[in-house]
Amino acid sequence: MDELELLKKDWQKKEEHHPKLSYNEIYSMIKKKSSSTVKWIFYISIIEFVFWAVLNLISYSKESLELEKTWHIYEITTTLTIINYVVLIYFIYKFYSNYKLISLTESSKKLMKTILNVKRTVSQYVLFNIGIFVAYLLVSLYGNLNYGASSNKIREAASQSGNETLFWVMLFGMVLIAIAIVLILIWFFYKLLYGILLNRLRKNYTELKKLEV
Amino acid sequence: MVFCWQHVTILQLNLLIDNLLPTQGVNKELEHKFVTEIENNQNIVHKVCSLYTTNRDAHNDLFQEITIQLWKAYPKFRGDSKFSTWMYRVALNTAITLYRKSKKSIKTQDFDSVIYRIKTEEYDATEEKQLQLMYKAVRQLGDIEKALVFLYLEDKDYSEISETLGISEVNARVKMNRVKNKLRTILNP
Repeated sequence: MDELELLKKDWQKKEEHHPKLSYNEIYSMIKKKSSSTVKWIFYISIIEFVFWAVLNLISYSKESLELEKTWHIYEITTTLTIINYVVLIYFIYKFYSNYKLISLTESSKKLMKTILNVKRTVSQYVLFNIGIFVAYLLVSLYGNLNYGASSNKIREAASQSGNETLFWVMLFGMVLIAIAIVLILIWFFYKLLYGILLNRLRKNYTELKKLEV
Repeated sequence: MVFCWQHVTILQLNLLIDNLLPTQGVNKELEHKFVTEIENNQNIVHKVCSLYTTNRDAHNDLFQEITIQLWKAYPKFRGDSKFSTWMYRVALNTAITLYRKSKKSIKTQDFDSVIYRIKTEEYDATEEKQLQLMYKAVRQLGDIEKALVFLYLEDKDYSEISETLGISEVNARVKMNRVKNKLRTILNP
């Protein structure tokens, strides 16, 4: 292609016409902080880990422990908590080791893949937490309905409503809809948060990957 | 529970030290060596910036980000490849994967870093016009396509292009041909 050859000649000819930065200007640059995507992913991930850990801590007071015992769900929730922490350690380890793998000296494709892996680990962690959260919610609901303070009232209301099955279906339906709305909101938030950071990277990665098919 | 908290805190500290204090304990000698190398090879970074940005602010932004990334990666540079080759890779990777275009760089087009034209001795108006169109066409390419054109303009062979981008040599050729065709279509619609 003639034009491209022409461009190449011109490109190499005007080497000297780029701006020249001084030693001091470059020196001051290495003292500044990066604003790269990876750095933001790192900070947001830390916030996510801490957020869910804090949520677990504050939702677990002495009163809730007593309540769980009277609702006969203590064993199940304790198991959930143990699973939760084992998996948390696993995810932190995975996040850390993936993060360590990020190296700019790798090929572009490998680098992009590693970055996406780091992000995927965090997403999986959040998904897992949401799962645990929903499970905990359902178990509490079960405990509350069967052994809770207002369980008799609810049962009475159910038998007085005429159609008992319909009453329960509607009750659970409402709970499920509420959970679904919360999940959609969280999902939307994530799309927004990581979309801004990773759109470009994901697009470029797909472009390189498409080539290999 | 307490155990987990400790775990989180230790990890956080480790990562923070890695991230925020990359210069901790680094001696002046290393800094001096690095800055001198960058000063001598800064053209490579400027060229990458000129392809991926459209105004002076964005150019400077990207230059700074690339320099920071080079500095962060410098302790791992073992000298088994040339410093300039290593620079190409880190600079391109920063432009393609890490750099977030700021809003101001999209809006203003006050400065065209590629087309700050030179008064060549043999000034040829048609050639000049053709070149301008070519630069404009290259600007319209995607990030990966730009990277290919850049390495091509820098006279890199396909084995180096394939290694830099992480695709096979055959695919690098295929992609390059597609880019050439695309440029042709942009130039002769």
